[in-house]
Amino acid sequence: MIQTRPYEFMVKYTPQRDWIEGHGILIAFAMFFGGISGGLYLASLFFDSLLGMFIAWLLAMVAGGTDMLHLSKPIRFWRMMLKPGSSWISRGFILIWLFLGAAMIQLALSQWAPGTAETVFKVLAGIMAFGVAIYSGFVVGYVGAIKLWNSAVIPILYVISGLTSGLAVLLLVHFNKSSATLLSVADYLLAALVVYAVFVAIYFWVATYSSVTTRDSVVRVLRGNIAPAFWLGVVLLGIIVPIALVAPFSVADNTSTAAFAVAAVGTIIGGVMLRYVILKGGLYSPLLPAE
Amino acid sequence: MRWGMAIELKRCVGCYECVLACKAEHFLPPEIFWNWVLIGESGKYPSVTKLIYNVRCNQCADPACVKVCPTGATQQREDGIVWVDEDKCVGCRYCMVACPYQMRTIYENGNKGYFPGQELTEHEKIGQVLYPHQTGVVQKCVFCKERIDAGLAAGLTPGVDREATPACVINCPTKAMHFGDLDDPYSEINRLIKEKKGRPFHPEYGTDPSIYYID
Repeated sequence: MIQTRPYEFMVKYTPQRDWIEGHGILIAFAMFFGGISGGLYLASLFFDSLLGMFIAWLLAMVAGGTDMLHLSKPIRFWRMMLKPGSSWISRGFILIWLFLGAAMIQLALSQWAPGTAETVFKVLAGIMAFGVAIYSGFVVGYVGAIKLWNSAVIPILYVISGLTSGLAVLLLVHFNKSSATLLSVADYLLAALVVYAVFVAIYFWVATYSSVTTRDSVVRVLRGNIAPAFWLGVVLLGIIVPIALVAPFSVADNTSTAAFAVAAVGTIIGGVMLRYVILKGGLYSPLLPAE
Repeated sequence: MRWGMAIELKRCVGCYECVLACKAEHFLPPEIFWNWVLIGESGKYPSVTKLIYNVRCNQCADPACVKVCPTGATQQREDGIVWVDEDKCVGCRYCMVACPYQMRTIYENGNKGYFPGQELTEHEKIGQVLYPHQTGVVQKCVFCKERIDAGLAAGLTPGVDREATPACVINCPTKAMHFGDLDDPYSEINRLIKEKKGRPFHPEYGTDPSIYYID
Protein backbone atom coordinates (compact mmCIF):
# COMPACT_ATOMS: atom_id res chain seq x y z
CA MET A 1 0.00 0.00 0.00
CA ILE A 2 1.36 3.40 -0.94
CA GLN A 3 1.22 5.81 1.91
CA THR A 4 0.92 9.48 1.27
CA ARG A 5 2.95 11.54 3.67
CA PRO A 6 1.47 14.75 4.97
CA TYR A 7 4.16 17.32 5.60
CA GLU A 8 3.84 17.91 9.28
CA PHE A 9 5.81 21.12 9.11
CA MET A 10 3.01 22.69 7.16
CA VAL A 11 -0.08 21.14 8.73
CA LYS A 12 0.86 21.61 12.37
CA TYR A 13 2.50 24.29 14.46
CA THR A 14 6.08 23.90 13.42
CA PRO A 15 9.13 25.03 15.42
CA GLN A 16 11.62 27.01 13.39
CA ARG A 17 14.84 25.03 13.14
CA ASP A 18 17.09 26.96 10.80
CA TRP A 19 18.27 29.37 13.47
CA ILE A 20 18.64 27.06 16.43
CA GLU A 21 19.52 23.52 15.35
CA GLY A 22 22.94 22.35 14.18
CA HIS A 23 25.25 25.25 13.58
CA GLY A 24 22.17 27.48 13.51
CA ILE A 25 22.69 27.81 17.26
CA LEU A 26 25.60 30.12 16.47
CA ILE A 27 23.01 32.80 15.70
CA ALA A 28 21.89 32.71 19.35
CA PHE A 29 25.50 33.24 20.42
CA ALA A 30 26.06 35.98 17.81
CA MET A 31 23.00 37.80 19.12
CA PHE A 32 24.20 37.39 22.69
CA PHE A 33 27.73 38.58 21.99
CA GLY A 34 26.38 41.57 20.07
CA GLY A 35 24.09 42.47 22.96
CA ILE A 36 26.70 42.05 25.67
CA SER A 37 29.29 43.93 23.64
CA GLY A 38 27.04 46.95 23.10
CA GLY A 39 25.78 46.87 26.68
CA LEU A 40 29.27 46.54 28.13
CA TYR A 41 30.62 49.43 26.07
CA LEU A 42 27.77 51.71 27.16
CA ALA A 43 28.20 50.66 30.79
CA SER A 44 31.96 51.17 30.50
CA LEU A 45 31.45 54.67 29.13
CA PHE A 46 29.27 55.46 32.14
CA PHE A 47 31.83 54.10 34.59
CA ASP A 48 34.77 55.28 32.49
CA SER A 49 36.29 51.80 32.42
CA LEU A 50 38.91 51.46 29.71
CA LEU A 51 39.24 47.74 30.38
CA GLY A 52 35.50 47.31 29.98
CA MET A 53 35.61 49.15 26.66
CA PHE A 54 38.41 46.93 25.44
CA ILE A 55 36.53 43.76 26.43
CA ALA A 56 33.44 45.15 24.66
CA TRP A 57 35.55 45.61 21.53
CA LEU A 58 36.79 42.01 21.81
CA LEU A 59 33.24 40.75 22.30
CA ALA A 60 32.11 42.65 19.19
CA MET A 61 34.85 40.81 17.28
CA VAL A 62 33.48 37.54 18.64
CA ALA A 63 29.92 38.59 17.66
CA GLY A 64 31.01 39.34 14.09
CA GLY A 65 33.05 36.13 13.97
CA THR A 66 30.15 34.03 15.24
CA ASP A 67 27.88 35.68 12.68
CA MET A 68 30.30 34.68 9.94
CA LEU A 69 30.76 31.15 11.29
CA HIS A 70 27.00 30.68 11.07
CA LEU A 71 27.08 31.25 7.33
CA SER A 72 27.21 28.30 4.97
CA LYS A 73 29.47 30.39 2.74
CA PRO A 74 31.58 32.37 5.26
CA ILE A 75 34.08 33.41 2.61
CA ARG A 76 31.37 35.60 1.09
CA PHE A 77 30.77 37.40 4.42
CA TRP A 78 31.41 40.83 2.91
CA ARG A 79 28.25 40.48 0.86
CA MET A 80 26.24 40.77 4.07
CA MET A 81 26.84 44.51 4.04
CA LEU A 82 25.25 45.13 0.67
CA LYS A 83 21.59 45.65 1.59
CA PRO A 84 21.41 48.05 4.54
CA GLY A 85 18.38 49.68 2.98
CA SER A 86 16.14 46.72 3.73
CA SER A 87 17.90 43.98 5.69
CA TRP A 88 18.51 44.16 9.43
CA ILE A 89 21.31 41.58 9.18
CA SER A 90 23.05 43.91 6.77
CA ARG A 91 22.53 46.91 9.03
CA GLY A 92 23.75 44.96 12.05
CA PHE A 93 26.85 43.71 10.30
CA ILE A 94 27.75 47.24 9.22
CA LEU A 95 27.13 48.53 12.75
CA ILE A 96 29.51 45.90 14.16
CA TRP A 97 32.26 46.99 11.76
CA LEU A 98 31.65 50.68 12.44
CA PHE A 99 31.70 50.01 16.18
CA LEU A 100 34.93 48.04 15.88
CA GLY A 101 36.53 50.90 13.95
CA ALA A 102 35.29 53.73 16.19
CA ALA A 103 36.05 51.88 19.44
CA MET A 104 39.52 50.91 18.23
CA ILE A 105 40.37 54.54 17.42
CA GLN A 106 38.89 55.67 20.73
CA LEU A 107 40.91 53.09 22.67
CA ALA A 108 44.07 54.08 20.82
CA LEU A 109 43.42 57.79 21.46
CA SER A 110 42.71 57.20 25.14
CA GLN A 111 46.07 55.46 25.41
CA TRP A 112 48.24 57.82 23.41
CA ALA A 113 46.36 61.09 22.80
CA PRO A 114 43.53 61.67 25.25
CA GLY A 115 41.46 64.78 24.65
CA THR A 116 38.65 66.11 22.49
CA ALA A 117 39.16 63.64 19.68
CA GLU A 118 38.85 60.77 22.12
CA THR A 119 35.57 62.18 23.42
CA VAL A 120 34.25 62.48 19.87
CA PHE A 121 35.08 58.84 19.19
CA LYS A 122 33.59 57.83 22.54
CA VAL A 123 30.29 59.39 21.44
CA LEU A 124 30.51 57.78 18.00
CA ALA A 125 31.40 54.37 19.39
CA GLY A 126 28.67 54.75 22.01
CA ILE A 127 26.06 55.32 19.30
CA MET A 128 27.35 52.31 17.35
CA ALA A 129 27.40 50.23 20.55
CA PHE A 130 23.73 50.98 21.07
CA GLY A 131 23.10 49.91 17.48
CA VAL A 132 25.08 46.69 18.01
CA ALA A 133 23.05 45.95 21.14
CA ILE A 134 19.67 46.57 19.54
CA TYR A 135 20.01 45.36 15.95
CA SER A 136 19.58 41.65 16.70
CA GLY A 137 16.27 42.53 18.34
CA PHE A 138 15.15 44.05 15.06
CA VAL A 139 16.51 41.07 13.08
CA VAL A 140 14.20 38.82 15.07
CA GLY A 141 11.34 41.27 15.55
CA TYR A 142 11.03 41.92 11.81
CA VAL A 143 10.14 38.30 11.05
CA GLY A 144 6.38 38.39 10.62
CA ALA A 145 6.26 34.67 9.82
CA ILE A 146 7.07 33.76 13.43
CA LYS A 147 4.53 35.44 15.65
CA LEU A 148 6.47 35.05 18.89
CA TRP A 149 9.33 37.04 17.42
CA ASN A 150 7.24 39.64 15.66
CA SER A 151 7.05 41.89 18.71
CA ALA A 152 7.99 45.51 19.37
CA VAL A 153 9.18 44.47 22.84
CA ILE A 154 12.04 42.30 21.52
CA PRO A 155 14.49 45.09 20.58
CA ILE A 156 13.97 46.75 23.97
CA LEU A 157 14.33 43.41 25.75
CA TYR A 158 17.55 42.65 23.86
CA VAL A 159 19.06 46.03 24.76
CA ILE A 160 18.17 45.65 28.44
CA SER A 161 19.52 42.10 28.42
CA GLY A 162 22.71 43.39 26.78
CA LEU A 163 23.04 46.08 29.44
CA THR A 164 22.55 43.64 32.33
CA SER A 165 25.11 41.24 30.87
CA GLY A 166 27.45 44.17 30.18
CA LEU A 167 27.14 45.39 33.77
CA ALA A 168 27.79 41.82 34.93
CA VAL A 169 31.05 41.71 32.97
CA LEU A 170 31.95 45.12 34.35
CA LEU A 171 31.33 43.81 37.85
CA LEU A 172 33.74 40.95 37.18
CA VAL A 173 36.49 43.21 35.86
CA HIS A 174 36.09 45.73 38.70
CA PHE A 175 36.99 43.39 41.53
CA ASN A 176 40.33 45.13 41.90
CA LYS A 177 38.70 48.58 42.08
CA SER A 178 37.49 50.35 45.22
CA SER A 179 34.49 48.89 47.01
CA ALA A 180 32.55 52.11 46.27
CA THR A 181 32.96 51.61 42.51
CA LEU A 182 32.14 47.93 42.81
CA LEU A 183 29.03 48.69 44.83
CA SER A 184 27.97 51.36 42.36
CA VAL A 185 28.19 48.86 39.47
CA ALA A 186 26.29 46.32 41.58
CA ASP A 187 23.55 48.88 42.29
CA TYR A 188 23.10 49.58 38.60
CA LEU A 189 23.14 45.85 37.83
CA LEU A 190 20.41 45.31 40.40
CA ALA A 191 18.26 48.07 38.90
CA ALA A 192 18.85 46.74 35.37
CA LEU A 193 17.94 43.21 36.48
CA VAL A 194 14.63 44.40 37.90
CA VAL A 195 13.78 46.23 34.67
CA TYR A 196 14.92 43.19 32.68
CA ALA A 197 12.67 40.90 34.73
CA VAL A 198 9.71 43.20 34.12
CA PHE A 199 10.33 43.21 30.37
CA VAL A 200 10.73 39.43 30.22
CA ALA A 201 7.36 39.13 31.97
CA ILE A 202 5.74 41.74 29.70
CA TYR A 203 7.09 40.06 26.58
CA PHE A 204 5.71 36.62 27.35
CA TRP A 205 2.49 37.99 28.85
CA VAL A 206 1.76 40.04 25.71
CA ALA A 207 2.63 37.02 23.54
CA THR A 208 0.05 34.93 25.37
CA TYR A 209 -2.68 37.21 24.11
CA SER A 210 -1.32 38.03 20.63
CA SER A 211 -2.45 34.97 18.64
CA VAL A 212 -3.06 31.25 18.90
CA THR A 213 0.42 30.60 17.54
CA THR A 214 2.16 32.84 20.07
CA ARG A 215 0.12 31.27 22.88
CA ASP A 216 1.31 27.87 21.73
CA SER A 217 4.88 29.21 21.70
CA VAL A 218 4.52 30.53 25.25
CA VAL A 219 3.08 27.20 26.44
CA ARG A 220 6.14 25.45 24.99
CA VAL A 221 8.41 27.94 26.74
CA LEU A 222 6.65 27.74 30.11
CA ARG A 223 5.60 24.10 30.20
CA GLY A 224 7.06 22.31 27.18
CA ASN A 225 10.48 21.11 26.14
CA ILE A 226 11.99 24.60 26.42
CA ALA A 227 10.76 25.07 30.00
CA PRO A 228 13.99 23.90 31.73
CA ALA A 229 16.03 26.41 29.70
CA PHE A 230 13.56 29.16 30.54
CA TRP A 231 12.95 28.50 34.22
CA LEU A 232 16.48 27.42 35.16
CA GLY A 233 18.47 29.53 32.69
CA VAL A 234 16.53 32.74 32.18
CA VAL A 235 14.53 33.03 35.41
CA LEU A 236 16.57 31.30 38.11
CA LEU A 237 20.17 31.82 37.00
CA GLY A 238 19.56 35.00 35.02
CA ILE A 239 17.21 36.89 37.33
CA ILE A 240 16.45 35.38 40.75
CA VAL A 241 19.95 34.28 41.78
CA PRO A 242 21.67 37.56 40.76
CA ILE A 243 19.01 39.69 42.43
CA ALA A 244 19.09 37.54 45.58
CA LEU A 245 22.87 37.76 45.74
CA VAL A 246 23.30 41.44 44.93
CA ALA A 247 20.29 42.97 46.72
CA PRO A 248 21.37 42.29 50.35
CA PHE A 249 24.81 43.79 49.77
CA SER A 250 23.34 46.71 47.88
CA VAL A 251 20.98 47.47 50.75
CA ALA A 252 23.72 47.05 53.37
CA ASP A 253 26.29 49.02 51.33
CA ASN A 254 28.64 46.03 51.47
CA THR A 255 30.52 44.11 48.84
CA SER A 256 31.18 40.41 48.46
CA THR A 257 33.46 39.22 45.73
CA ALA A 258 32.07 35.67 45.79
CA ALA A 259 28.41 36.71 45.74
CA PHE A 260 28.99 39.29 43.02
CA ALA A 261 30.97 36.81 40.92
CA VAL A 262 28.20 34.21 41.08
CA ALA A 263 25.58 36.90 40.34
CA ALA A 264 27.55 38.15 37.34
CA VAL A 265 28.07 34.68 35.89
CA GLY A 266 24.39 33.87 36.41
CA THR A 267 23.34 37.07 34.64
CA ILE A 268 25.58 36.28 31.68
CA ILE A 269 24.26 32.71 31.39
CA GLY A 270 20.72 34.10 31.63
CA GLY A 271 21.46 36.43 28.70
CA VAL A 272 22.53 33.51 26.49
CA MET A 273 19.54 31.45 27.55
CA LEU A 274 17.12 34.27 26.75
CA ARG A 275 18.26 34.28 23.11
CA TYR A 276 18.10 30.50 23.02
CA VAL A 277 14.58 30.37 24.46
CA ILE A 278 13.22 33.03 22.11
CA LEU A 279 14.76 31.43 19.03
CA LYS A 280 13.75 27.93 20.08
CA GLY A 281 10.22 29.03 20.96
CA GLY A 282 9.51 30.43 17.49
CA LEU A 283 6.67 28.61 15.74
CA TYR A 284 5.20 28.81 12.26
CA SER A 285 1.44 28.73 11.92
CA PRO A 286 0.14 25.68 10.04
CA LEU A 287 -0.72 26.25 6.39
CA LEU A 288 -3.47 23.65 6.49
CA PRO A 289 -5.63 22.52 9.38
CA ALA A 290 -4.56 19.08 10.53
CA GLU A 291 -7.11 18.05 13.12
CA MET B 1 3.58 41.52 -16.75
CA ARG B 2 3.27 39.36 -13.65
CA TRP B 3 3.37 35.60 -13.97
CA GLY B 4 0.93 33.72 -11.81
CA MET B 5 -0.70 30.38 -11.28
CA ALA B 6 -4.23 29.19 -10.58
CA ILE B 7 -4.81 25.77 -9.05
CA GLU B 8 -8.21 24.08 -9.08
CA LEU B 9 -8.37 22.15 -5.81
CA LYS B 10 -11.27 19.96 -6.88
CA ARG B 11 -9.27 18.68 -9.83
CA CYS B 12 -6.14 17.90 -7.82
CA VAL B 13 -5.95 14.24 -6.88
CA GLY B 14 -2.70 14.47 -4.91
CA CYS B 15 -0.74 12.30 -7.34
CA TYR B 16 2.59 14.12 -6.73
CA GLU B 17 3.25 14.38 -10.48
CA CYS B 18 3.96 18.10 -10.08
CA VAL B 19 6.58 17.27 -7.44
CA LEU B 20 8.22 14.66 -9.67
CA ALA B 21 8.10 16.90 -12.74
CA CYS B 22 9.87 19.65 -10.80
CA LYS B 23 12.47 17.19 -9.53
CA ALA B 24 13.18 15.99 -13.05
CA GLU B 25 13.14 19.45 -14.65
CA HIS B 26 15.69 20.90 -12.25
CA PHE B 27 17.62 17.72 -11.41
CA LEU B 28 16.87 18.36 -7.75
CA PRO B 29 19.10 16.36 -5.39
CA PRO B 30 17.72 14.02 -2.70
CA GLU B 31 15.76 15.72 0.10
CA ILE B 32 15.45 18.91 -1.94
CA PHE B 33 11.97 19.91 -3.03
CA TRP B 34 10.76 23.07 -4.68
CA ASN B 35 7.11 22.10 -4.37
CA TRP B 36 5.10 19.92 -2.02
CA VAL B 37 1.70 18.29 -1.73
CA LEU B 38 0.10 19.12 1.60
CA ILE B 39 -2.60 16.86 2.92
CA GLY B 40 -4.78 17.88 5.83
CA GLU B 41 -8.27 17.42 7.14
CA SER B 42 -10.88 19.78 8.44
CA GLY B 43 -14.08 19.13 10.33
CA LYS B 44 -15.13 16.18 12.47
CA TYR B 45 -16.67 12.84 11.62
CA PRO B 46 -18.99 12.46 9.79
CA SER B 47 -18.43 15.87 8.15
CA VAL B 48 -14.79 15.63 7.30
CA THR B 49 -13.12 17.28 4.35
CA LYS B 50 -9.79 16.14 3.03
CA LEU B 51 -7.65 19.03 1.89
CA ILE B 52 -5.03 18.57 -0.80
CA TYR B 53 -2.95 21.59 -1.70
CA ASN B 54 0.04 21.50 -3.97
CA VAL B 55 2.25 24.34 -2.87
CA ARG B 56 5.42 26.07 -3.97
CA CYS B 57 6.97 29.52 -3.66
CA ASN B 58 4.10 31.96 -4.11
CA GLN B 59 6.26 34.44 -6.06
CA CYS B 60 4.81 37.11 -3.79
CA ALA B 61 4.53 40.64 -5.16
CA ASP B 62 5.69 41.93 -1.76
CA PRO B 63 8.09 39.16 -0.72
CA ALA B 64 9.48 39.06 2.81
CA CYS B 65 12.48 37.05 1.57
CA VAL B 66 13.71 39.80 -0.77
CA LYS B 67 13.53 42.41 1.96
CA VAL B 68 15.46 40.44 4.57
CA CYS B 69 18.20 39.09 2.29
CA PRO B 70 21.39 40.89 3.37
CA THR B 71 23.32 40.20 0.17
CA GLY B 72 20.80 40.86 -2.57
CA ALA B 73 21.00 37.20 -3.61
CA THR B 74 17.23 36.90 -3.44
CA GLN B 75 15.89 39.09 -6.19
CA GLN B 76 12.62 39.87 -7.88
CA ARG B 77 12.43 40.19 -11.64
CA GLU B 78 10.19 42.68 -13.42
CA ASP B 79 7.80 39.85 -14.26
CA GLY B 80 7.43 39.14 -10.53
CA ILE B 81 9.51 35.96 -10.36
CA VAL B 82 11.54 35.75 -7.17
CA TRP B 83 14.81 33.86 -7.54
CA VAL B 84 18.09 33.28 -5.75
CA ASP B 85 21.43 34.16 -7.31
CA GLU B 86 23.48 31.24 -5.98
CA ASP B 87 26.74 33.13 -6.48
CA LYS B 88 25.63 35.83 -4.05
CA CYS B 89 23.93 33.74 -1.36
CA VAL B 90 25.92 33.36 1.88
CA GLY B 91 23.56 30.80 3.43
CA CYS B 92 22.49 32.91 6.42
CA ARG B 93 18.98 31.40 6.17
CA TYR B 94 17.23 34.68 7.03
CA CYS B 95 14.98 34.26 3.98
CA MET B 96 14.06 30.74 5.10
CA VAL B 97 13.13 31.98 8.54
CA ALA B 98 11.19 34.96 7.14
CA CYS B 99 9.04 33.08 4.59
CA PRO B 100 5.65 32.53 6.23
CA TYR B 101 4.94 29.75 3.75
CA GLN B 102 8.21 27.92 4.55
CA MET B 103 8.83 27.42 0.86
CA ARG B 104 12.60 27.67 0.93
CA THR B 105 15.16 25.00 1.48
CA ILE B 106 18.93 24.90 1.78
CA TYR B 107 21.06 22.42 -0.15
CA GLU B 108 23.73 21.24 2.26
CA ASN B 109 24.96 17.78 1.39
CA GLY B 110 26.31 17.90 -2.12
CA ASN B 111 27.73 14.37 -2.11
CA LYS B 112 24.46 12.66 -1.43
CA GLY B 113 23.09 10.62 -4.34
CA TYR B 114 19.73 8.97 -4.71
CA PHE B 115 21.28 5.55 -4.11
CA PRO B 116 23.43 5.69 -0.95
CA GLY B 117 26.57 3.61 -1.07
CA GLN B 118 26.66 3.63 -4.85
CA GLU B 119 28.16 6.13 -7.23
CA LEU B 120 25.94 8.69 -8.88
CA THR B 121 23.74 7.44 -11.71
CA GLU B 122 24.23 8.71 -15.24
CA HIS B 123 21.11 10.83 -14.82
CA GLU B 124 22.52 12.46 -11.69
CA LYS B 125 25.86 13.09 -13.40
CA ILE B 126 24.12 14.71 -16.36
CA GLY B 127 22.10 16.82 -13.92
CA GLN B 128 25.27 18.11 -12.30
CA VAL B 129 26.35 19.42 -15.69
CA LEU B 130 23.02 20.69 -17.01
CA TYR B 131 21.63 22.13 -13.80
CA PRO B 132 24.43 22.44 -11.23
CA HIS B 133 23.34 23.29 -7.69
CA GLN B 134 25.75 24.96 -5.33
CA THR B 135 25.89 23.55 -1.83
CA GLY B 136 25.30 25.83 1.15
CA VAL B 137 22.89 28.13 -0.64
CA VAL B 138 19.14 28.53 -0.45
CA GLN B 139 16.89 27.14 -3.15
CA LYS B 140 13.29 27.62 -4.16
CA CYS B 141 10.78 27.35 -7.00
CA VAL B 142 11.46 29.89 -9.74
CA PHE B 143 8.35 29.22 -11.85
CA CYS B 144 10.70 27.46 -14.32
CA LYS B 145 12.03 30.85 -15.41
CA GLU B 146 14.43 29.19 -17.83
CA ARG B 147 11.51 27.68 -19.74
CA ILE B 148 9.64 30.99 -19.69
CA ASP B 149 12.65 32.98 -20.93
CA ALA B 150 13.51 30.48 -23.66
CA GLY B 151 9.86 30.28 -24.69
CA LEU B 152 9.45 34.04 -24.90
CA ALA B 153 12.65 34.30 -26.91
CA ALA B 154 11.22 31.76 -29.33
CA GLY B 155 7.98 33.74 -29.65
CA LEU B 156 5.94 31.35 -27.51
CA THR B 157 3.37 32.25 -24.86
CA PRO B 158 3.86 30.92 -21.33
CA GLY B 159 0.70 29.27 -20.09
CA VAL B 160 -0.41 28.51 -23.64
CA ASP B 161 2.57 26.80 -25.23
CA ARG B 162 3.91 23.77 -23.37
CA GLU B 163 7.56 24.60 -24.06
CA ALA B 164 7.20 27.97 -22.32
CA THR B 165 5.15 26.79 -19.33
CA PRO B 166 6.40 25.54 -15.93
CA ALA B 167 7.01 21.79 -15.78
CA CYS B 168 4.57 21.17 -12.93
CA VAL B 169 1.74 22.80 -14.87
CA ILE B 170 2.21 20.90 -18.13
CA ASN B 171 2.67 17.58 -16.34
CA CYS B 172 -0.48 17.78 -14.21
CA PRO B 173 -2.58 14.83 -15.42
CA THR B 174 -5.88 16.37 -14.30
CA LYS B 175 -5.14 19.84 -15.67
CA ALA B 176 -5.68 21.31 -12.25
CA MET B 177 -2.95 23.90 -12.76
CA HIS B 178 -3.03 26.97 -14.97
CA PHE B 179 -0.33 29.50 -15.72
CA GLY B 180 -0.42 32.95 -17.23
CA ASP B 181 -0.06 36.69 -16.93
CA LEU B 182 -1.95 38.15 -13.98
CA ASP B 183 -1.56 41.66 -15.39
CA ASP B 184 -3.35 40.73 -18.63
CA PRO B 185 -7.08 41.16 -17.97
CA TYR B 186 -7.89 38.88 -20.92
CA SER B 187 -5.63 35.99 -19.94
CA GLU B 188 -7.15 32.58 -19.28
CA ILE B 189 -5.79 32.57 -15.75
CA ASN B 190 -7.46 35.88 -14.92
CA ARG B 191 -10.78 34.64 -16.34
CA LEU B 192 -10.55 31.54 -14.15
CA ILE B 193 -9.67 33.50 -11.02
CA LYS B 194 -12.55 35.92 -11.57
CA GLU B 195 -15.19 33.37 -12.59
CA LYS B 196 -14.34 30.76 -10.00
CA LYS B 197 -13.40 33.19 -7.25
CA GLY B 198 -9.76 32.22 -6.88
CA ARG B 199 -8.04 33.30 -3.69
CA PRO B 200 -4.40 33.40 -2.66
CA PHE B 201 -3.15 31.14 0.11
CA HIS B 202 -3.21 32.91 3.48
CA PRO B 203 -3.61 36.47 2.22
CA GLU B 204 -3.39 37.60 5.85
CA TYR B 205 0.39 37.20 5.62
CA GLY B 206 0.32 40.36 3.54
CA THR B 207 2.81 39.32 0.88
CA ASP B 208 0.41 39.38 -2.10
CA PRO B 209 1.02 35.87 -3.54
CA SER B 210 0.87 35.21 -7.27
CA ILE B 211 -0.65 31.75 -6.87
CA TYR B 212 -4.42 31.49 -6.57
CA TYR B 213 -6.43 28.52 -5.35
CA ILE B 214 -9.87 27.74 -6.69
CA ASP B 215 -12.28 25.62 -4.61
